[in-house]
Amino acid sequence: MSRYEVNKVVREMVMQRASLERFLADPHGFLADRPLEAEERRALAERDFGALYAMGAHPFLLWGWANRVAGIDRETLLDRYAEAVRPHGYPDFAT
Amino acid sequence: MAKLVQLIGVQHNPLLYRRMLRAEEHPGMVEARAGYERMRQKLAAARPDVLLVIANDHLSQWFTDNMPAFLVGKAPRARGPFPHETEEFGLPTYTARVDVDVARAIIEGGFERGVDFAYSDEFVLDHAFTLPLTFLRPEMDLPIVPLFTNVMAPPVPPSSRFYQVGEAVRAIVDELPADLRVAVLASGHLSVEIGGPRPMREAPDPEFDARVVAHVREGNVAGLLRDSSWERMLRAGNFTAGLLNFVALVGVAGGQPATAADCVFLRTSSTPFFTWDLEEAEA
Repeated sequence: MSRYEVNKVVREMVMQRASLERFLADPHGFLADRPLEAEERRALAERDFGALYAMGAHPFLLWGWANRVAGIDRETLLDRYAEAVRPHGYPDFAT
Repeated sequence: MAKLVQLIGVQHNPLLYRRMLRAEEHPGMVEARAGYERMRQKLAAARPDVLLVIANDHLSQWFTDNMPAFLVGKAPRARGPFPHETEEFGLPTYTARVDVDVARAIIEGGFERGVDFAYSDEFVLDHAFTLPLTFLRPEMDLPIVPLFTNVMAPPVPPSSRFYQVGEAVRAIVDELPADLRVAVLASGHLSVEIGGPRPMREAPDPEFDARVVAHVREGNVAGLLRDSSWERMLRAGNFTAGLLNFVALVGVAGGQPATAADCVFLRTSSTPFFTWDLEEAEA
């Protein structure tokens, strides 16, 4: 597992619009050359917030990213995101 | 000789900026806005020459490729926030001069007192700095010294360390050779949940927040340090560690009870106002 690499690519998409747009246009292409595990790559490409959270992705970065990639209004996202992460409690997110 | 004239602690929820502009539409926000205005007046009345600001970055700048626990900014000019923060929260730009002499004195004084501050000649002020500064010093005319803390990326130093760093800052300011009036602003949080399972629409643990505010009011350092252990803060909300910036401030105060420690319990996030009027205390 490469928690650091997940945080790094999530942070890049939060901070750099060009990277976010490349991801939105072609998730697998954007992630292809990143040193990620297969499951991390899948979870990022599929915007599987619950799986990323369970892996220990940084919750602050993950939420910022969810806001930019979910494509739904904030109120709906608040509920869906909480549902996705709730089963996982509070995993350690130290790197 | 320099002297500490005013200490202030407030929170930095970035959603406050837009809500404050339309305070009448949000329950409790008129009261919160009045609190920030009171803090602005306190800071102005203290007539400081320099403002030390203790706040944290949110992984925008200091990341785990190279994470400082405590860092002093010493570039001659400071500016923020980040473009993605402006975009998301509608935050205005804040610029300030940095008092480089005081910044350097804090770094060197830290080394002599067992605090190895990291330092930077090129940095951006995150919203944790610019939001309170925008409310408390809209003139942008007061030189600052930014002190960045890591409260976001564990491992984070224990609360006792934040308190010691505050004590070191107090000792360093006391010994500054220049005849300066120094104010300190700490920008932190009470209980808060971001990207975790608890609903982000509300403050996760107002009871915890009330107790912390009472510790600050009473100068109960032991209680404050106990309630700001990583495990205790995590139980109150997953990013409650912003409280550690207030622990550092209580260290700057030498553990004295605050002149006033109030809190507006907004539904979205408890909004504390901590002040130590140090000249009055002297008189």
